[in-house]
Amino acid sequence: MSIELVETLPWVEKYRPKSLEEIIDQEEVVNSLRNVLKTKAVPHMLFAGPPGVGKTATAHAFARDLFGERYLEDGHFMEINASDERGIQTIREKVKMFARQIPMGGLGFKILLLDESDQLTDDAQHAFRRVMEQYSATCRFILVANYSNRIIEPIQSRCAVFRFKPLVKKHIIEHLRRIAEKEGLEIDDQALEVIYDFSEGDMRKAINTLQASASISKKIDEKVVYQVMGYVSRGEVRRVLELALGGKFSEMRDEVRRILYVQGIMPSDLISAIYRELFYLDLSEEDKLELLDLLGEVDYRISEGATPEVQLMAFLAKIAAKGKKR
Amino acid sequence: MTELWVEKYRPKKVSEVVGNKESIKAFLDWMKSWELGKPLKKAALLYGPAGVGKTSLVLAYAREHGYDVVEVNASDWRNEERMKAIVGESSLQATLDGSVKKIILVDEVDGIAGKEDAGGLSALRKIIDESRIPIAMVANNPWNPRLASIRERSLMLGFRRLKKLEIVKRLKEICAKEGIKASDKALKALAERSEGDLRSAINDLQAIASGRKTIGEKDVEALGERNRVREIFDALRIIFNTKSLRGARAALEGLEVDLDTIYTWLVDNAPLQIPDADDLADAFEALAKADLFLSKASREQKWKLTRYAIPLMTGGVALARRHKPEGFVKFEFPSKIRFMQKTKAERELRLSIASKIAEKLHLSTAKAMKEMLPYLSFIASRDERFAEAISKYFELTPAEISYLAGKEKKEVKPAAKRKKAARRKKG
Repeated sequence: MSIELVETLPWVEKYRPKSLEEIIDQEEVVNSLRNVLKTKAVPHMLFAGPPGVGKTATAHAFARDLFGERYLEDGHFMEINASDERGIQTIREKVKMFARQIPMGGLGFKILLLDESDQLTDDAQHAFRRVMEQYSATCRFILVANYSNRIIEPIQSRCAVFRFKPLVKKHIIEHLRRIAEKEGLEIDDQALEVIYDFSEGDMRKAINTLQASASISKKIDEKVVYQVMGYVSRGEVRRVLELALGGKFSEMRDEVRRILYVQGIMPSDLISAIYRELFYLDLSEEDKLELLDLLGEVDYRISEGATPEVQLMAFLAKIAAKGKKR
Repeated sequence: MTELWVEKYRPKKVSEVVGNKESIKAFLDWMKSWELGKPLKKAALLYGPAGVGKTSLVLAYAREHGYDVVEVNASDWRNEERMKAIVGESSLQATLDGSVKKIILVDEVDGIAGKEDAGGLSALRKIIDESRIPIAMVANNPWNPRLASIRERSLMLGFRRLKKLEIVKRLKEICAKEGIKASDKALKALAERSEGDLRSAINDLQAIASGRKTIGEKDVEALGERNRVREIFDALRIIFNTKSLRGARAALEGLEVDLDTIYTWLVDNAPLQIPDADDLADAFEALAKADLFLSKASREQKWKLTRYAIPLMTGGVALARRHKPEGFVKFEFPSKIRFMQKTKAERELRLSIASKIAEKLHLSTAKAMKEMLPYLSFIASRDERFAEAISKYFELTPAEISYLAGKEKKEVKPAAKRKKAARRKKG
């Protein structure tokens, strides 16, 4: 890769930790992994924790420290994302293909990273557990998940479980400041606060917000950050709620469909955004409580397998009815 | 989706109405008697099979001669107050100076006779007797005994199925205007299938013509069951208008359309058919509950649960509909399907971009779409060098990078407003 290309990469890639030494926080995890590096006895591992705290990055950094710079190119390491390939069949086939050949100069085994493994259904997990046993001589697995309780017990018991903690606010801000310095930015404390709040502790989101802010101005204050935030989120949810309150049903429905089907926002994320906005709607407290109850009902039904669009419409139609009476 | 051809090519003048020349002439004579101030009869009942031009004739005449059409749907007649509001007033307005000429068009008169309450019919009878403007009624089957008193008061105008050649001729005209080459055999086959129903022939033509410029006989063979859409319309009409759970449930009996399809039609037509916000909220709550049962039924093979879904999605909607729209509102093709067609190219583009990002950045496609795409798009739209770089790095096609970098520049909101909104959020 040319230097110039690296210079203009997305910063989440450019500043991705290259080795365990660069992982922020997570001391306990990193210490344990250092021991593994010394003995080279790599167990199956489960990395669990909230989004954007460095689980996948740690897996890559660990593999690089273990196998060297060319851990990917030389075929020591492969990554599969369970949310893209839910079928256990494709996973099994890929694992088989991958584990069949042991590369020269390696450690006698490869590592397969299964990201978002909590997206696998129970059935797929049970099948996967057998895959783990079948190939454990030649392949070690790192499973990455947000919630370890969504991973079935038999898999958990075969893994060393590493719990990743939410990143400390101070460390996120320090990291942002380091990046800002390297990129020649001027950023004030207020702006860093706002980025942190917006990121909800997710480093990827924080870095992305910083880079987007930098594309507006090399001098970043909170106004600049708000401009980015207004673009990337929240704005459209407010718009949906305002259209609903104003009784503009079909426009509102189109907007919801854009969010769900074109932008590909997860229904649960949309509901969370609505939840946050609900408290600030221009309605009586009683109405808001009633709507909150219904939103919970809708959320529950979706978790039970109901269709998000219709459930959301039921909720928004209720808002429209409340809006009419204002 | 483009305009429906049945609407686009609806006759603008009486001379363009296909077939049934005698009845058309009788209709013209009747309207002339009104113009002369000596109406032969107060009302005319245009009857015959679907899609032969009954409604089109009335609309074409009105358009050609400068009449306003007051359109009423059968279901409105049952609510006497509303009926008076719509028709009563119009029908009593004398048009002495001729400045505003009006004609009342009552669709589906036979629909009233089938209903349990006869109040609608007697109200209609009264309107006919008192009316000072022409009332044109349309029915498929006018021979129900309960319609006897209406028949007595009306000029009876029978319409027959259109001849094959008449249909072929009209289809040819449409093809010429749309720039479509269709073989004679194909058009004949379409006419054959339609059984004298020009509307369904035009609908079929539009369906097979979408996306192509030439049509052969083979394309006609590929058409699905012709009656599907009409079946759905009939079911919707019952569902939205019934007052009993049994009646609503019965609307789905013998229907050759699967439940999911009819459900989609119901969901997307509900906002059109239910004008009142409270009614609509109740209707959607019923639909949402039905959806949960339907989803569980198919996901967990608990088919028994559909028995709760059906009354909720039919009767639940009907009972919620305490107010009806002003005038007749047509049922529409589900907007969801249209939306997905319209956004197909964009969705595929985004998916392709997201999967390329996902691969390089160790993310799932869904996460790349949600967590990277908005930011990359924001930056690329203001930084050309960055756009160029990520285009290389992710190996994006020209279409992909121009989508990512081009589109949303303008949508950035002024900072001040955002700030306020965000402050509120914090509080």
